[in-house]
Amino acid sequence: MRFKNLLAWDMRFQARYGFYLLYGFLTIFYMAVLFALPASVKSAVAAMLIFSDPAAMGLFFMGAIVLLEKSQRVTSFIAITPTKAFEYVCSKVLSLNAIALVVAAVLSVASGTKSIALALIGTFLAGAVFTLFGVIVATKTSSLNQFLLLTIPVEIFGFVPAILQLFGLTGAYGSIYPANACMEMVSGSGISLPGLLLTLILIGFLTYTACRCVEKMWQEQGGVKI
Amino acid sequence: MRAVRISFFHMLRFVRKDMMLLAAGILPFLIGIIMRLGIPYIEKLLMSAIGVASVLKPYYSLFDIFYAAITPVMLCFIAAMVMLEEHDDHIDRYLFVTELGRSGYFISRIAIPAVASFVVTMVVLPIFCISSLSAFEVFSLALGGTLQAIIISMLVVALSSNKLEGMALTKLSSLLMLGAVVPYVMPRPYGYLLAFMPSFWTGLQITEKQPLFFPAAVAVSGVWILILKRKLEVKIR
Repeated sequence: MRFKNLLAWDMRFQARYGFYLLYGFLTIFYMAVLFALPASVKSAVAAMLIFSDPAAMGLFFMGAIVLLEKSQRVTSFIAITPTKAFEYVCSKVLSLNAIALVVAAVLSVASGTKSIALALIGTFLAGAVFTLFGVIVATKTSSLNQFLLLTIPVEIFGFVPAILQLFGLTGAYGSIYPANACMEMVSGSGISLPGLLLTLILIGFLTYTACRCVEKMWQEQGGVKI
Repeated sequence: MRAVRISFFHMLRFVRKDMMLLAAGILPFLIGIIMRLGIPYIEKLLMSAIGVASVLKPYYSLFDIFYAAITPVMLCFIAAMVMLEEHDDHIDRYLFVTELGRSGYFISRIAIPAVASFVVTMVVLPIFCISSLSAFEVFSLALGGTLQAIIISMLVVALSSNKLEGMALTKLSSLLMLGAVVPYVMPRPYGYLLAFMPSFWTGLQITEKQPLFFPAAVAVSGVWILILKRKLEVKIR
């Protein structure tokens, strides 16, 4: 019940600040782009769009979400409720992934992706990885510029190999790398079991780290340890 | 003027603390190097993989347009993020009642970073461009990119009430840069549907090799800036 409330509150928060409107508009825009492209490149472009935008939205927005919560003292209030860090982190991951999955489904259908189910699994896994990285970085930063700067390495190590993988430029073992494994699924072209396993291990590790970071943030509200 | 100068240096100190100043200094060169070396390399790989004479080469000038747009947007974006922080922390309204005033505040946060970014773009674009650009084209791309950066900063600040809305608007307003793609991919009469985007005219100027499209880009940017200036005035009244 507590988790359900937290999730509903996060979704309301995202709706109030225009996330649904923004992604509604972006989906229409991306669909227009896909319809204008020749059929031969449609699914590759759709995979690139899904991976770099809805799947990675947590990495882009988490800094603003957490910093706004901090400035509105929301995190201080959550800190004194029975809410657990794991619930807080899961709520962020699931609420942002809900938007990512809807956008990914629409774009996959529009581009004629081979397997929509696979594309959605890939989007969910990539979304979880990027959002968890976003939570970890956001809890450590005090300004938006600092957050954006610290997410650049994550973006480089997340996007560049994945795009190279999409164009078949990473070699035989490329799909072991978690970002590449997710991109392979997002494009609907296949699934690499070692890659999937490594992605799940990465998600587990990031969830643990994100929970520790959130607990630490809650304990240091207003510059003093609670 | 003294207050504007102090306010600008205050912002620089603020972003220096976040290491963003260092990043803003390095990133235009880093992106330039990656573009200059990376795009021709990827072109070679694609040519051998697909087996055609050219894949990206016809779009080299488009990469230059994006580079000329991204450099000022990045620098003005940093200033816009500072403005959003100051708005959320209620610092801006205190600054408005000082000697700096509202106009001084916006000069120090939008106009001066824009001038600086224009100068930086004029320096880095001829070094890292991958198509052959004339001196006038370098100037027009740098100015067009700077005006676009001003529009994006003003959009973010005028239409958002906190940093989260600001980030959402940043994402949305950065689509303005994509107008440059239209002349490369869309047949002409339909392309004019996106004539409200300044970058569309920049793209047209480069694809058609026609300098007369540059005043159109400046005029469209001017209309955007005027409308957003009014919005901003209403917001801070």
